Amino acid sequence: MTVIYKVTVTLTCGRIIMDFALTDEQRMFQKMFADFAEKEVKPIGEQADYEELLPMEVLQKAAMQGFMGALFPEECSGACLDFVSYIMLLEELAKADVTTAMAVSVHNGLAGKTILDFGSAEQREKYLEPMAFGEMIGAFALTEPAAGSDAAALESTALRDGDDYVLNGNKIWVSNGGIAGLFVVFAKTDPGAGAKGISAFIVERDAPGLKVGRREKTLGLRGLTITPLYMTDCRVPAANLLGEEGQGFKIALQALNVARLSLSAVALGACQRAVEEGIAFSIEHTQFGGPIALKQAIQNFVADSAAEIEGLRWLVYHTAWLAEQGEPFAQEAAIAKLLASEAAFRIANRMVQVHGGYGYMKEYAIERIYRDTRALPIIEGANEVLRFVIARDLYDQAGLKIKP
Amino acid sequence: MRIIVPIRQILDPRGFTVSPRHERIFINREEYIINPNDKNALEVALSLKDAGDAEVIVIAGGQARLDDALREAMAMGADAAYLLTDEVLAKTDAAGVAEALARGIEKIGDFDLIVVGQETLDTADALLGPWLAEYFGVAQVGGVRQASVSDGVLRVRRDWGAGYAEVEVALPALLTVAPGANKPRYPHGGRIMAAYREWQVNIWGSEDLGLSAADLILLTQRRGRTFPPERTLGERLTGSPQDVAAELVQQLRLRGLVG
Amino acid sequence: MDFTFPKEYELFRRMVREFAENEVRPLAKKIDAEHRVPFETIKKAAKLGLMGVPFPRKYGGCGAGEIGYCILMEELGRVCTSTATVIGAHTGIGAMAIYLDGTEEQKEKYLKPLASGEKIGAFALTEAQAGSDAAAIKTRAVRDGDYYVLNGSKCFITNGDIADIITVMAVTDPSLGARGGVTAFIVEKEFPGFSIGTLENKMGIRGSSTAELIFEDCRVPKENVLGQFGAGFITFMKTLDVGRASLAAACLGGAQAAMEAAMKWAKARTQFGVPIAQKQSVHFAIADMATEIEALRSLVYRTAWLIDTGQPHIKEAAMCKLYGSEVASRCINRTLQIFGGMGYSREFWVERAFRDARIAEIFEGTNEIQRIVIASNLFRELGLRISP
Repeated sequence: MTVIYKVTVTLTCGRIIMDFALTDEQRMFQKMFADFAEKEVKPIGEQADYEELLPMEVLQKAAMQGFMGALFPEECSGACLDFVSYIMLLEELAKADVTTAMAVSVHNGLAGKTILDFGSAEQREKYLEPMAFGEMIGAFALTEPAAGSDAAALESTALRDGDDYVLNGNKIWVSNGGIAGLFVVFAKTDPGAGAKGISAFIVERDAPGLKVGRREKTLGLRGLTITPLYMTDCRVPAANLLGEEGQGFKIALQALNVARLSLSAVALGACQRAVEEGIAFSIEHTQFGGPIALKQAIQNFVADSAAEIEGLRWLVYHTAWLAEQGEPFAQEAAIAKLLASEAAFRIANRMVQVHGGYGYMKEYAIERIYRDTRALPIIEGANEVLRFVIARDLYDQAGLKIKP
Repeated sequence: MRIIVPIRQILDPRGFTVSPRHERIFINREEYIINPNDKNALEVALSLKDAGDAEVIVIAGGQARLDDALREAMAMGADAAYLLTDEVLAKTDAAGVAEALARGIEKIGDFDLIVVGQETLDTADALLGPWLAEYFGVAQVGGVRQASVSDGVLRVRRDWGAGYAEVEVALPALLTVAPGANKPRYPHGGRIMAAYREWQVNIWGSEDLGLSAADLILLTQRRGRTFPPERTLGERLTGSPQDVAAELVQQLRLRGLVG
Repeated sequence: MDFTFPKEYELFRRMVREFAENEVRPLAKKIDAEHRVPFETIKKAAKLGLMGVPFPRKYGGCGAGEIGYCILMEELGRVCTSTATVIGAHTGIGAMAIYLDGTEEQKEKYLKPLASGEKIGAFALTEAQAGSDAAAIKTRAVRDGDYYVLNGSKCFITNGDIADIITVMAVTDPSLGARGGVTAFIVEKEFPGFSIGTLENKMGIRGSSTAELIFEDCRVPKENVLGQFGAGFITFMKTLDVGRASLAAACLGGAQAAMEAAMKWAKARTQFGVPIAQKQSVHFAIADMATEIEALRSLVYRTAWLIDTGQPHIKEAAMCKLYGSEVASRCINRTLQIFGGMGYSREFWVERAFRDARIAEIFEGTNEIQRIVIASNLFRELGLRISP
């Protein structure tokens, strides 16, 4: 399924007006990602799900390839990947194992990229290198019990006290929580000010007053160690404020844009793996005197899935390309996440059906993929919220302000 | 041994809500169930039947819808059912029903034991047991938890202050069973089907019991209803766990609740 | 026309609901987590006749027919799909085959202990390469004096390892194919040569067991041939038809429970300053669920009525299974979405219900097979026979 088309659309006069081609470098990267994923990640998927823990070795190995600092510049020991390559990395990882891809995505896109974009020179120097070496895993703590989709309703506070901020409040659904060395935490420095009162902080795992709670037991993504975070008079040096006071909401939104784009790439990879599994099974499994691949119902499942994947691939890549160009891509990222996450679950669901009874058994990878992909329409902005975000943008352009 | 169990019916409390604020009862679903305490009584009777040779007869008086309650009782294990109903009996009150039940039990014939639920859940009236005991002039044991029979002697465990008393009673006798004395059995699936499709409920009207409308003059009269005052929320203590605990102890002391 | 339930069914439903709420629900999370069959529930259910609801009272059943049985499955489906699956495989297909095609002696000997719940039943048709294509079974039965000798293996058999009495399909004449060449046998677990293979580790319904059954020179007395010799295909088709309606009833219960849970949650969960029950997305999700559930309810109980009144019901039963399983999956999927992250957590029953619901689209004939059954019945009315 791994076919990247080298397509160049030209006018008759020969002037290039659109370019869908990957560069030679990107194609080389892609092969490298695919090799790594196939060799190192695919074999651990079942075990990570069963033990509900991602083996740290796989992240170490990823770090050795530069994947844990995928977006960081070379001076921070990063791989300095462009966005399209980064998206391909996540796609290939997700083909091998959705959980690993999510862990890498949260580390790079949500935690690392945020520090890279908004951190001071000292913060970058202090944190990005250990992150790139996989010594410090990053996590992102925004969601609270009463503020899931509604980020402005945060209740956590961060009050200045001398050279420190004192953080209080609880966070839930922190991906990588179990293994993270640092958390990008959002709290209100001005509790009365709504969204404008939110600030972002880098909080290290051993910060006094920070307690990482018991991991959530989830339907899928079981290796991801999703935990709550409890902050009781948690003291964070003022130097760990990300950006400026009150900038938190903006930081969160930008991080979420990257997260949504990343998640659509993960979904895209998951779709392809699901179809691969379905195709392989339908060839090997015989019913009514021949492989079930010969049945039209199965062929329809495969064809519909392939059509959706092909559409998604270019939507996701295009969004990544926009991000790389420095163009606004919030709308596209929301659309890509919405479509890709629903397609991933839909396709995984179809491929369980192709497997029949075998698809319900844990021996087959599709069983895990089905559970893993069900998270995608919920996390990084529930799809219901994304629909609102998309509609709001369109109505905005038409001159009407809508509220959630 | 013949055991009689009177059955009463109440409106299913899960089907309505009482709103003291609006001084109204909102009925969302009008469904009648056997008075839960009567099910406790039936369970006592059926466990006596399980333990030895006994015939359990259920009887109910009042409105025609009691038919369902009696069939459910048969599905739980009762052997026969009598329903006392007609236009006159449907309009009477708890005292009238008690009188009708007394006449009905008399008409059924000799009995060894009557087992009654101590009270009804809806109006909390507890007159049926004493009424029947008085009518037949038999011994009554209240607050019953368990009963067993050996050598013609009934052994009863009843509430006694904070504990229990074991009582022996000569038959015939009447037991009033404490609410929640036991976990009543579920009706049996096959008996449910038979209760409606195969078995009969015997029906007697007021004339069969020798009662006329004049005998059933209402002893009670409904004048209206009032609601208890709404409960107010307590005080909420805030602060560190140590402060809250200290404050709580002080408040309890102030109210004289702890020494 | 009268669409009301007779009073015995109303009381039966009330009893079963109380049983499900008080006895089954408290165990549901535990048996899923511990991956074990709820024997204590089976014992309690047996005392109330719930292990033989559809069968006549003379065989120890409730005499409640398919309608009563669907009520049981609906109420169990509301609280615990695993328990519904264990009791369903026992009653709806295991014992049902003996009830439909057994001789009077076989019913005395086998149906009675099954209906009373003393013994557990199972139904063994599927093989590794014969799932949807049931006619491709390979297990062989060869006559040897007063016995038949069975060889082969069955897979994905619900209750396989806990059953005492198993209805097994085996090939008696390979030259005749499915029609004429397959015979049903009643196998007791004590028969020599019968053993249990591996147990499956499943996504959901983990409180039910799914086993591989192995027959190595398993000797079955000839009087244990179920139905006519060579007519096993007819026996299992008839049995599965009846089983499909009740399976849909369990789906109906699951869907209804999902919708009710979604409504309660939407009322309690506040986002953007209001309960999410005030959001139109939620209204429409609930309205869609309620509409589908209502349509399913009518379909299920009408089909049960067709079965109880002895009318043709093959197409309708397949429709029940197809539509029921999809409605249940859709409803629980919508509910999970309304619950958001909480729905993904194993703390809440939504997650378990989501995993449990998925099997209904697969077992007892995948939905693709149901579509084939429906289409072939429809085309047959036009005089056209279609092959899968």
